Amino acid sequence: MADFEKISELMQKGKADEVKQLCAEALEEGVAPKDVLDMALLAAMNIVGVKFKNNEVFVPEVLIAARAMNFGLEILKPAMVDDDIEEIGKVVIGTVKGDLHDIGKNLVKIMFEGKGLTVIDLGADVSAEKYVEAASNENANVIACSALLTTTMTQMEAIVKAAEDAGIRDKVTIMVGGAPVTQKFCDSIGADIYAADAATASEKALEVCTK
Amino acid sequence: MTGKEKVLAVLNKEKIASIPWLPFAGVHSGRLKGYTAREVSTDAAKLIESLREVNKLYKPDGQPIMFDLQIEAEILGCELLWSEDAPPTVSTHPLSDTADIPEHIPAVNEGRIPLAIEAMKAMKGEIGDTTALYGLITGPFTLASHLRGTNIFMDMIMNPSYVTELLGYCTKVAKAVSTFYIEAGMDVIAVVDPLVSQISPDHFGEFMDKPFAEVFDLIRAAGAKSSFFVCGNASANIAPMCKTRPDSISVDENVNLATAKKITDEYNVVIGGNIPLTSVMLFGTQQDNMKNTVDLIDSVDNTDLLIIAPGCDMPYATPVENTIGVQQAVHQTEQIREMVKNYEGTEIEFEGELPDYNNLEKPFIEVFTLDSITCAACTYMKASAVDIKEHFGDKIDMIEYKYTDPQNIARCKVMEVKQLPSIYINGELKYSSIIPNRSEFIAVVEKCL
Repeated sequence: MADFEKISELMQKGKADEVKQLCAEALEEGVAPKDVLDMALLAAMNIVGVKFKNNEVFVPEVLIAARAMNFGLEILKPAMVDDDIEEIGKVVIGTVKGDLHDIGKNLVKIMFEGKGLTVIDLGADVSAEKYVEAASNENANVIACSALLTTTMTQMEAIVKAAEDAGIRDKVTIMVGGAPVTQKFCDSIGADIYAADAATASEKALEVCTK
Repeated sequence: MTGKEKVLAVLNKEKIASIPWLPFAGVHSGRLKGYTAREVSTDAAKLIESLREVNKLYKPDGQPIMFDLQIEAEILGCELLWSEDAPPTVSTHPLSDTADIPEHIPAVNEGRIPLAIEAMKAMKGEIGDTTALYGLITGPFTLASHLRGTNIFMDMIMNPSYVTELLGYCTKVAKAVSTFYIEAGMDVIAVVDPLVSQISPDHFGEFMDKPFAEVFDLIRAAGAKSSFFVCGNASANIAPMCKTRPDSISVDENVNLATAKKITDEYNVVIGGNIPLTSVMLFGTQQDNMKNTVDLIDSVDNTDLLIIAPGCDMPYATPVENTIGVQQAVHQTEQIREMVKNYEGTEIEFEGELPDYNNLEKPFIEVFTLDSITCAACTYMKASAVDIKEHFGDKIDMIEYKYTDPQNIARCKVMEVKQLPSIYINGELKYSSIIPNRSEFIAVVEKCL
């Protein structure tokens, strides 16, 4: 019988090869791939997210766990039937124009994926128009934008405005975050959600996508 | 005591009556003289002029020369993305696809090091007797991440020996640049390593202990003082940082200063910090800045081994009056505590009467100051008004309102004065925080005659 707990523990430690092997064994035993995904991999990433938020694990541990998750996904995805791949929601993510810092953005992306959300990663130095174009084309539920600099966070206002101009403002939730960003700033530019950390961002995005 | 004596006394772990103030005016310095971030990052004359203004307006006890973590990286092959209102950012990582360890150590005449050194020497000559000068270098871990990119985090788990080797190289760079800056007269070398907040204490012990201890040992042996600057939530790494034996550490608002100070006190290490950069310094009012600083000072168990500073490099557009407010609150804590209390007290009614500004007999210059005796910017602002009064004689009237008097606080509220020091002419705001130049000021008054 597949030991979800064990896969989860190994994933949290970043043991990618072992995770891959146990996922394969679980499938051979006839366990539904979606169960392995939900009860082992996503459960593990949820724990990593909470520990990261609580300052119990740090950037290297999150990245290595995400790598292990991807090793597991390589096995599970091809085995999933259409019914399993139910899209919970779609998020367009990026670091704003003029800002090349993407560590935080990447961590948030990992946590989004850990919640089973589909993520379209636009990378760093992303213009307001690009966010909106991608959100529009992909019919995304959430635009998540990150900034590390006090000088680039002002770009977030342009994203809100671009979404309004494109006529998608009422269809998309705009989430903002990054070191200099605050709830007050979020309110002042008319964005919808401020998230102080990656785990909170993913919880709030999931809430938006499932309501 | 001069500011420099205060900083050095605290770094020597002496108990002194006042708390040193260390404004991290990096590219923000340029704003004081109308220069862009790029200009003060690439032009020594403009940088020096701006640093002079920082010293004049902000009355620092200690002052950094440049707050630029890209100087070493640029020399070592990282491309930079330049900005007019922020320091440059590293945009490429030469080691991202190779596990090679570079050998090149920056020379004193390479990249922007000569620019930094020219400014250091000039400021040493001008203000070095009274202000402790800080030379900032890029810490080994952040330099390694500039070179390698974010792969460095995965490397720590998957290829630890490579990380150790790369950090060894970056330590050599840090030691070389520290030596250049000490030789240029810097009193304190700040090893700035924001990324340290992103790793666990275990990883700190495994990878960072030796590199940082080596750099701090070198600085100590060269007769200078040291500081370990970190940004982000470094709460878990305060003790490990202390164990690398810096004279001081500096943290941003993600760390609770009072909690961290209990740890640094145990290690007899000075702690500096941590006025919030965005919510308070950039977007807050002058009142917010004064209150926040007083509250911060009140939050710690004792004010020994303490330096008050912004959380990190000040945003370019930080309002000048906010920094002046922080400076006053550090240097005149009791007076500012009283001002904040009076400002917040709703019971103070303005008892006087505002002049009939539309029917004045002659132009009326009103100078609103925190206190023109203790606040440097206020001193200069008032002096410029006194000078103008002398120039025009009986043709104009001039008065100063000090914020130390509750009635003057009430007057500020009635007149909606938001920033101090400010100059109003005939009831209208003309100058705020930045001191007007004489000819411009004269021309403005002449128009009112």
